[in-house]
Order: sequence, then structure tokens, then C-alpha cells
Amino acid sequence: MSIFRKHKSVVDRTSQDRSRHKKKIEKAIKESIKDVIAEESIIGQNGKKKIRIPVRGLKEYRFIFGNNEKNGSVGSGGEHKVKRGQKIGKKRAQKGGAQGTGHASNEKGDEYYDVEVTLEELAEYLFTDLELPDLEKKQFRFLSQKSLKRKGYRFEGIRPRLSKKETLKRKIRRRKMAQNRGTYDPEQDERFPFHKDDLKYHHIKPKKKENSAAVIFFLMDVSGSMSQDRKFLARSFFFLLYQFLNHKYEKVEVVFISHSTSAHRVSEDDFFKVSTHGGTIISSCLNLEVEIIEKEFHPHTWNIYTFYCGDGENWTADNEKSLTLFKKIKDLSQLTGYCEINESYKGLTDDDGDDAFGISSWATFSAWKNEEMENLWAKLSPLCDNKFKKVMVGDTEHIWTAFNALFGGKISS
Amino acid sequence: MSDWTERDLMHWDEKIIRIAQDLGLDWYPIDYEIIDYQEMLSAMAYTGLPTHYRHWSYGKEYERTHTLYNMGQTGLPYEMIINSNPSMAYLMRENPLYVHLLTMAHCVGHSDFFKNNRMFINTNPNNILDSFKSASRYVRELIEDPSVGIDNVEKILDAAHSIKYQVPRNPGIKYKTHNDLVALEQEKMKEDPSYRPDLDKILLQPEFNVLKCIAEHSKHLKDYERNLLLIVEESSQYFIPQAFTKIMNEGWACTIHYKILNELNLPDNLYLPFIKLHNQVIRPHLGQVNPYHLGYKLFAKIIEDKGFEEAKVLREIHNDITFLRCYLDEEFLQEMNYFTYSFKKDKKAITIDDISDDEGWEKVRDELIKNVGLNRVPLIYVDEITKDNTLCLVHEHDGRDLDLPYARKVFEYIEGLWGDDVTLVSAVENEIWEF
Repeated sequence: MSIFRKHKSVVDRTSQDRSRHKKKIEKAIKESIKDVIAEESIIGQNGKKKIRIPVRGLKEYRFIFGNNEKNGSVGSGGEHKVKRGQKIGKKRAQKGGAQGTGHASNEKGDEYYDVEVTLEELAEYLFTDLELPDLEKKQFRFLSQKSLKRKGYRFEGIRPRLSKKETLKRKIRRRKMAQNRGTYDPEQDERFPFHKDDLKYHHIKPKKKENSAAVIFFLMDVSGSMSQDRKFLARSFFFLLYQFLNHKYEKVEVVFISHSTSAHRVSEDDFFKVSTHGGTIISSCLNLEVEIIEKEFHPHTWNIYTFYCGDGENWTADNEKSLTLFKKIKDLSQLTGYCEINESYKGLTDDDGDDAFGISSWATFSAWKNEEMENLWAKLSPLCDNKFKKVMVGDTEHIWTAFNALFGGKISS
Repeated sequence: MSDWTERDLMHWDEKIIRIAQDLGLDWYPIDYEIIDYQEMLSAMAYTGLPTHYRHWSYGKEYERTHTLYNMGQTGLPYEMIINSNPSMAYLMRENPLYVHLLTMAHCVGHSDFFKNNRMFINTNPNNILDSFKSASRYVRELIEDPSVGIDNVEKILDAAHSIKYQVPRNPGIKYKTHNDLVALEQEKMKEDPSYRPDLDKILLQPEFNVLKCIAEHSKHLKDYERNLLLIVEESSQYFIPQAFTKIMNEGWACTIHYKILNELNLPDNLYLPFIKLHNQVIRPHLGQVNPYHLGYKLFAKIIEDKGFEEAKVLREIHNDITFLRCYLDEEFLQEMNYFTYSFKKDKKAITIDDISDDEGWEKVRDELIKNVGLNRVPLIYVDEITKDNTLCLVHEHDGRDLDLPYARKVFEYIEGLWGDDVTLVSAVENEIWEF
């Protein structure tokens, strides 16, 4: 006689292994993300757009036979007539198969999964370790979104908010009482059911979340010397920055300023699309920023962040002025970031102390175009501390490192 | 709504048991668990075992089957049964009665095979569920132990899994221990004084159980790491006999379920869908070898030629390799319409090499045997451990080259476990290849 029984387990026993697997996939995604963050295709997309990134599959390596002629297989022809030399396919049947949400593709014998993620998810993966620094409590606060918070218990409530723990506690208390009174005998195998009075529900209250106001200034050089490639790097940098801020803070104001010899406050769209021409006077945009701050964003009320991105060249005569203005902006802002686009930069590591990017050797790869132009990089060094940071980007791969340097995230190699 | 109750199952179970007894089958009692499809997917991820140690690869397996199932690319198995005493089997709640009847009769066939086939002699069916349970608890405790943690456990398990098929390929045989071998050599020395073997060697003969060898002889592993290797090794040893008898086991179970259900005197509304399902299970898969098909047809031929009693003897003494070697002939292979194929680099295509005619059938048979069970896995063994503690591995080359990128990764895993130097000798395109 066989035994039949219904499965009793209520827990999903694969859940731990699945979440571990998921974590590993996410890690793999994170690792490949750095290769795709500066891809043309993702810059300028909105948050809902799905992007495909190739991820190294989580393979379980074994000793297996290679895919060569000596490694044959056997198959059945079924009802079909088969003959020698007949072509029956292009690729060896793939072992394994699709995994997770991705699809398997086989390249150079290495297994890659195309995982589809939205920009929002991408931001989630990228930015969890990073924080916008030093958000100070300013005088005026604005109220952002209300959220619902659990607070205490009530006897009345809707079913989904039933508190199992409190309900059970009340039942246990009632049973103990019944036992003491002698109306219930636990020795007798009698059920002690829940009573309607046992039920307790979570109570929820809307909670207002306070947030300091923050404003971010994006300053970009759009002078003639900003070649297409340079501009692309700058745009990628800002794009990442923008995604980061959007992700981290519910409410941030963003001001876009582009400049050549004169500066203009532009829309987000224009900022990322504008064409380049003219000379470079950095102070023009710094001036404009200071004006805007004075008019609209009082430092007592607002957290101010400034990010400048350019090729580092400036009209020599303007350098003094620019430096003074940088100093002034540094004092006004929580954080000022200065990013130089320089193709000769090869991602040197810190060999001269406080500068994270090997500045001492910088002079050798600086590209001088014009005697009247001078590079600002070295001159900015005295300003550098934790409120003023400068980074250099020479290639798409540096963007992520630069980004981490600005926001103090762990740089994963 | 399902068309059956537990009472129906018991009613038919009684009849199935009576017929199976009349056939002279001898099987473990079977405990059926009635589960839903989600639980079936979970059970599948852990190869059916009710408790199993944690590892992310089982989560991956779950996601894989779940995705395939949801996309309709694969159905769920009708049957899953564990080689234990009593045998544990699963019935899926969503299935109709005739599927359950087929499954139950099929499970009797499997359980009979587990109990009688000689490959399974060392699988310890009485305690196997307990030993998986304690392994699972051990791994969980290590994961929760702050001085070990999940990353360390995974590091070892990842590496151990990479060589889990490098275990001896003769299940059902007891191996001589080191002391046995020393005694044997000493005996030989007595008989022939000029015979001077080196008895100080760590391995007196090549060791085919790579996992166990590393666990026992590595000088760097911590105790818990050794234990993890041995857990993986034990579970491998348990599954190896099943890999060795897939075709026979399924063929036998299909033979039994067909025999039993034909004698159940089923009403048409159960019998017709059963026959349809049966034919689906044993149909040939185009371009592949369906073990249910091959095994069923081969047993059918043997029963026709020699009778059922002879087939019962064969199910005890053979494994897939010997079974195919003995009973595949030209006529049968032609009927199965089997052919061999391979990937041609120059044409960038897969083409057919040989077909089952009087010229080619032996090649087809040999190729088939090369692709059965563990023959699909390269054979790698420990040739020796040298005095400076180098682990010398050898790939026994049978004409098929290793996949080098994969081999490189596994090699790195082995180096990580061993802690000292490791060498691996193989051949690639007829040249000696050494890592």
C-alpha cells in the first residue's frame, strides 16, 4: 500500500538560492554597466526606455568536450530519410539556454546574456553606493511627498493590515486566562480558536517627509575647441550626473549653463544638443552662475552644487578672474566639481598625493593650441579640498572613475 | 477542478500493486507527495530531493525551468522519484487521473530498477534522505557562522561543483584502500625479493575520485572546506548510478507502466488519453536521442525475442553502456533511424557523418555509446602526487579534445582548492597540451 500525502511545507525553499542567484546576476550587471554607461545609445534617453546590456552569464564551469569534429553526436531521423553529408543545422545545439529574463547569445565561446533594464534600474544599480555630500539643513525647507507610515494598532481595520503578531499575542493571553480560570484544559486535545476580539490591525498615518532644497548647476564649455568627441564625453558625464541626482533626490532644481566667450542659461534639451563655436572665457559662465544664485537661490535656503565640464583651456587673461570666481562659488556651494576632458589622459593613478589623477605628469600630455590659451588644471590645485574636486576624463572608461572620485563611492576596478 | 480524489488514487494504487506483484517485480514502498506545479519546479531544481544544501546554482536552475515552462517551451515531468527506501515520488495536483495512473505505474518500474540494478548497490537508499538533510543543515550552519559566511561556502562549493563528475566510473564496486594496497605490495615483495615498489608515495595507484583525493590530501584546506568537498562527493556518488542507467531505467519504467496499465482494464475515457500520452513519452526526438524511446524499444525487442523473465535478469546486471553494446544491432538501429553528426569548421555547419546502414551502423553504435551518461564527461584523474606536493592530473584522451576555456576555469578552481602546484596533461589537435 503506498502512502499519499499532501505537501505540507508552506515556505518556498528555492527563495534563498534564487535571491542569491539574482544578487550574482546584479553583480554581473554592475560589472558590465561601466562599459555601457557612455554608449551613445543610452545618452539622452528617458527613464522608462529599456536598454540591453550584455552580461557575462553565471556559468558553472566543468570539464567538457570542445566543439570540434571529433566530438560527434547521435540523433534520430524519426520518419525522415537521412543520408551522409546532409546538412542539418548551422550551430551546435546550445547547451543550457536562456536564463532569467535574458536571452542567451553565443559569442566567441563565451556566454553572454542580454539583460534588459530600464534607465531607472540602471541608476539603481549604479548609484546605490553614492551619496550627494553634505546636504545641510537650510533655513527653509520644502515638503516633499507624503508617505504612509505604520503607527500603533487599532481594533478596527481592513484585512490586509491585520497584525498577526499582535493578534496571536492576544489569543495567547486569552488562553492563559482561560487556563487559570479553568475553563480551558490544554491537556485535553481541544482547539482554542481565535476570537473576533483577538484581531488587531496596524494603524497607518501619513508622514510628511522634509527635505532641504538643492540646486545643481551644470556648466559646460561649448567653445570651438570642444570637438565632437570631447563634447560627447562631457555630455556623458553630465548625463550620468543628471541621472544620479534624479535618482537620489526627489526634488532638485537643475540649471544648465553653456558658455563659449559668453554664457547662456539654456534648457536641458539645448544643453545636451547645442553645437560648438567660438573662444573660451570660463569666467563668463561662473559670473552668470553667481548672478543666478544671487537672484534665485539664496545659499541660506538652498544647497548648491556646481559642476563644470570643459577641455581645460581658457583665455590666459581670464584665468585670474576665473580662479577668483571658482573660489567664490566654492564658498557658496556644498560641492564644486571640475571636470576636464583631455584625450591624452590615460587614467593615471595617484602618484602625487592629494591629486587622484597623476597631475604632476599632466604637463607632458597637455595639448596646447594657442599661446594665448592656458590650461586651468594646475592653477586649480590650491582650491582642492573636500568641497572642491577636480577630475580628468580622457575616454569613456574614465567617466565612471571620475564619477566615483567626485562622490566618494568605492571605485571598483 | 480535478477529476480525482485521494480515494481514487488509493483504489488504483491497490490494483497497480497487485499487477506489479504478479509480474514478479520487487520494489521499495512508495510515498507519494501531492504537490502543485510551483512545488514541482522547486523539487526539480533540487533533483527531487526534499532537502538539499543551498547553492545559487539551484536558484539558477529554478529560474531556467520556470522561464522555459512559462514560455511554454517545456512541460513539467509527469514523474519524479527518488532512489530511497521508501521511494519518494511526486504527483502534480494539476494533472488529471490518467496521468497519475501512468506516473504511479512508471514509479513502480523505477523503484524496482533502483532496488535491483547492481549499479545502485552502494547508494544507501535507507539513509540517503537523512544524509542529505544533515548535509543541508551543515551547509546552513556554515553560512550562518560569522567566521565562515556564505561567500566562503560558495567559493568551495563552486569549485567542488566544477569537478563533481570526476568520480570513479564503476559504481557498485568496492575500491581497495591505501592499506589494502600496501598489504598487497608487501605480499608481492615477499614472493619476489627483487621487487621494490616505493611505498612512501602518497598515491600508490592513480585516483579517479578527484574530489575525495583533494579533500584528503590537500595541505591547505580547513576542516569545514574538506567537509564541503566530501558532501559534494557523496551526493555525486549517489547520482552517478542514475547517470549510468538513464536509458535502461526509463526504458524499464516505460515498459512496466505500459504492461500495468494494459492490465488495469481501464475504461475508454482513461485508456485512450493514456495511450496518447504513452506514445508521446516514447516518441523519437528529431535529431536527438530520447532515452525513453531508445530504452523502451530495446526492452520491447528483448522481451519479444527472449521473454519478460530474461528482461528482468538484464535489468539487474547491465548499465547503459554494456546494455547498448550487447543488444544494439543493425536492424534495430535502422528501425530507430539513428545517425551521427558533427560540426564542420570549414563548412560552418552541422552535417551527418554516418547513418545506420550495413556500412555505418557500427560507427553509429560506437558514437552513441560515447555519448551515453558519463561518457559525455571528459575523464580526468589524479595520476600522482609528487614529493613536492604537486597534484598531477591527466585527461584520458579518447579522441575528443577538451574545451579549453572551460578547462582553464576548472583548472583555476582546482588550484584554489589544492593550494600547491597543479598540472594537467591533455592533448589538443594531436599535440600534448599542458596547463
